[in-house]
Amino acid sequence: MASDTRREHAVEKVGARKIIIYVILVLWALLNLFPVYWMFTFSLKTNEEIFGKNLIGLPWDWKWSNYASAWNTGHMPLYFLNSVVVSVCAIALVIISSMMATYAITRLEWRFSRHVNAFFMLGLTIPIHASIVPIYVTLKNMGLTNTYFALIFPYAAFSLAMGILICTGFMVEIPKELDEAARIDGCGPWKTFGVVILPLMKPAVATISIYSFLQCWNELMFANIFNSDGKYRTLPVGVQQLSGQYTTEWGPIGAALVIATFPMLIVYIFMSKKIQESFVVGAVKG
Amino acid sequence: MKKKDVINYINVFLFLLPALALFIFILIAPIFKSLYYSFFDWNGMTDMTFVGIDNYKELFTSKPIYFWKSLGNACLLAALSVFIQLPISLGFALILGRGIKGERPFLSIYFMPVLISTVVIGQLWLKIYNPDYGLLTVALQKMGFADLCKPWLGDERTALMCVFIPTLWQYVGYHMLLLYAGVKGVSPDIREAARIDGASESQVNRYIVIPSIKPILKVSVIFAVTGSLKSYDLIYVLTPSGGPKHCTEVPSTRLFEMLISRNRYGMGSAIAVVMIILCFAFALMISQAFKERDIYGK
Amino acid sequence: MKRKLLSLLMTGAMVLSLAACGGGSTGSTGSTGSTGSTGSTGSTGSTTSEPSATADETIDTFSGELTMWCIATESDSNRHSYEAAIADMAEKYPNITLNWEAFENESYKTKIKAAVSANDMPDIFFTWSCAFLQDFVDAGRVYCLDDAYQAFKSELPESMLGNSTYDGHHYGVPLTMNIVGLFANMDLLAQVGYTEIPGTYDEFIACCDALKAAGIIPFGCAGKETWCVTEYLESVIEKSVGADALNDIFLGRATWNNADVAAAVDTFQSLVTNGYFDPNGIALSNDEVKNNFMDGKYAFYMNGTWNCADFAKNEAFFPKVRVGEFPVINADKAQLGQLIGGPSDTLAVAAGSAHPEVAAQYCFELGKLICHYGYLDGCGLPAWTPYGDTSSVNGLTQAVAEICGNATGYVLFGDTAMNADDARTYLDYVAMVYGCEVNGQEFIDGLTNDIR
Repeated sequence: MASDTRREHAVEKVGARKIIIYVILVLWALLNLFPVYWMFTFSLKTNEEIFGKNLIGLPWDWKWSNYASAWNTGHMPLYFLNSVVVSVCAIALVIISSMMATYAITRLEWRFSRHVNAFFMLGLTIPIHASIVPIYVTLKNMGLTNTYFALIFPYAAFSLAMGILICTGFMVEIPKELDEAARIDGCGPWKTFGVVILPLMKPAVATISIYSFLQCWNELMFANIFNSDGKYRTLPVGVQQLSGQYTTEWGPIGAALVIATFPMLIVYIFMSKKIQESFVVGAVKG
Repeated sequence: MKKKDVINYINVFLFLLPALALFIFILIAPIFKSLYYSFFDWNGMTDMTFVGIDNYKELFTSKPIYFWKSLGNACLLAALSVFIQLPISLGFALILGRGIKGERPFLSIYFMPVLISTVVIGQLWLKIYNPDYGLLTVALQKMGFADLCKPWLGDERTALMCVFIPTLWQYVGYHMLLLYAGVKGVSPDIREAARIDGASESQVNRYIVIPSIKPILKVSVIFAVTGSLKSYDLIYVLTPSGGPKHCTEVPSTRLFEMLISRNRYGMGSAIAVVMIILCFAFALMISQAFKERDIYGK
Repeated sequence: MKRKLLSLLMTGAMVLSLAACGGGSTGSTGSTGSTGSTGSTGSTGSTTSEPSATADETIDTFSGELTMWCIATESDSNRHSYEAAIADMAEKYPNITLNWEAFENESYKTKIKAAVSANDMPDIFFTWSCAFLQDFVDAGRVYCLDDAYQAFKSELPESMLGNSTYDGHHYGVPLTMNIVGLFANMDLLAQVGYTEIPGTYDEFIACCDALKAAGIIPFGCAGKETWCVTEYLESVIEKSVGADALNDIFLGRATWNNADVAAAVDTFQSLVTNGYFDPNGIALSNDEVKNNFMDGKYAFYMNGTWNCADFAKNEAFFPKVRVGEFPVINADKAQLGQLIGGPSDTLAVAAGSAHPEVAAQYCFELGKLICHYGYLDGCGLPAWTPYGDTSSVNGLTQAVAEICGNATGYVLFGDTAMNADDARTYLDYVAMVYGCEVNGQEFIDGLTNDIR
């Protein structure tokens, strides 16, 4: 009897805790969903509503024409495609090079691995603004301005340190015994890397992709400076182009931002399922 | 034996090659260029005048540069980030990583602010802080605290916090996702074993989950600190001219001001060099701190 | 039709005779794809143009592409004037393809500076006059327009080139010009019994007091963007010390150490401390303040006359708004007709251009058309002599034109006139004045010491 009531108490306590936890989770979720709602409604409003008359309500008059003007004037489809090309290539480059570098640093035995790791960590510390002119000159000398590479290389380089950091976090978790076993089976470092390590790094791929993607997708400064040909313009520059020196209509800017952001949100929601699956795979194998 | 070493080094080199090439051309070369420029008085276009360490001297001694103030603000942001933002992120990561109903939607939603452009986040918070019709002002008025209302971003007592809150809020999801990946990486078997031994949820978190995600925790702390030292976007959107009495300046806003607005390329480069050194020093210190704890902790 | 004929008549290529002009445009069909002058001379078939065309390229004989960067983005009110002008040019010179790109204002400043550093500029580029362009000129990256200007002398008064003239040489083609206007919401003024913008300073202050007493905020000013404060402060200083004295200071011919300026700054500050300005303005951006003004929150709004186009577009607000000149404060030194502003929007040609002469001629003709259409659209006043029918220009812009017609002196915006470093120092001090951290004396002392 006594133990039963205690269990009941415990159940009650757990129940109460659960409710509190859910309340917190839901409140935080609302707080994080609000910008999405706000961005969407703001894209359908007039300047008057945006500036004071109707801050958070639904638009009085759903101005879908904002979308038309953003879509027609802004060459959004092209910019979208450019952003995708640049981001995907940069991410691929980051994943390949950071995986390889991390393998060399954490699994191969040689004298300066720690120093090289520290050297790469320098990449976390470089403020993007300071490098504009030197990188611009370098790219120009290599004839890469006004090409996709003008953005792919810098983006990859700036995400690299992060990629290596994340990779290291995941790779040290993989037991060294696996390498030993592979070596006994006669695998060289390349084969070990390809056959043993890479398959176990799936969760890292997802994480690195997300983080590099964030760096690339919204980047404005490099995108604006290194490419002037409209053919290679990316979304953030395209969106910014909707605001002018003398007049700025905020509605179409909101619409362009929705066009730029929503597909990504949707992809993310689908990807997050994949990510979780790969997490679980990693957990089971690890 | 010797031949094997050589092969080993060739392999190491080849593995490192793509990363090194990118790194040296795009990141390291500009650092050295910045270092070089920082000894000159140069507007980025016309002739350069060598001035030795004058830029650094002015940086640290001249009040109108506001460099000390900006450093102080960045350190405050870093501290808030580590001691407030990260614990919140860790809390959510632990709750979600344990596997509860609605794990996936919550995870997706919490990450959304990170995906949304800073322009939108900035505009949203401008509407929250607007002194005439802003949400914060209206809410306070409705609750009967109209006296408390002030031009939030225009008052030097409130501007800094008003700028930091969105900055911290936006990236909770970022750290949460990183930590969540770590939490998910903890083997369910170990968890289960601990539960069977009678450990409570918080004990499992404290003695099993957190120690095993230490490498990722380290990454998070490094990001939080270096990110704070480099933070720029939202602060610029909310207070474009550095806030009232320059109270919201951070090193990046000073860097941008010198480099772009004032055409003082040498001074801008000097700020960049100092920022690089600081970030690097902090990153090393954090790594070291985590290593020390390894020795005693494990 | 008349306009086209006129612009045809005025082109630099006119020297080559009208026959050559016609020849240039017909000949281009045969010369597409060919590079340089030889291809086009061969195909024009006009004997008169042949010798000079081989000597150097002209806008008529050249066949190929030019590039241009500007800031007339999709939502800029100048967009239409650029598009219309470029369309006219394409029709007139089918032999030349202009590849133009527009960038957002703030990011363009970074972009063009980086491009000048790396010597990677387009043939024609937009720039702001005075100090902004001066750095590029000093770096030797801008093509001198003295020769090309000769053909346009009659249409573009030399006085308009002052802001883009360095060491006596011209480097820029001005487009529209703007001044600071005192915009007033006449509905609000009517509530306190005024049917016109007060003409003297005493009346003006009385009007502000009356507005304040009626619970209406006299001035709206965006404290978050310091250039908005200068629109007020510079007008007050100019109407206290006179245009010449202020010009001397801005252009470095006199120091800031001037007691009259200190007194003027104190006058401005008294407007702030008397509560004429919206106290919330300190935390607002210009977009927000401008919308507040259109919303009837402020009686006055001092800002650039480029706002005319926006005000004219707002049907509910347009009938209420009037524009005037800030009244004279010290009649011994200043007088009406002394204005803040002048031509700042400018096109320039890169020295590194492959075809600088062609680009220069093209640049003048294009600038003239942009100016023309910009004026018709109400984006600003023409730096070029206006032509054609201008009766469609909105009433506000016409009122501004009238004010400018009586102008006796212009002082360019301080942050445009000074070099970038000094301008930022100046803006820092202006912000301190607005925040009442320094008074007039401290303002002039600080600037005397800190301007490098």
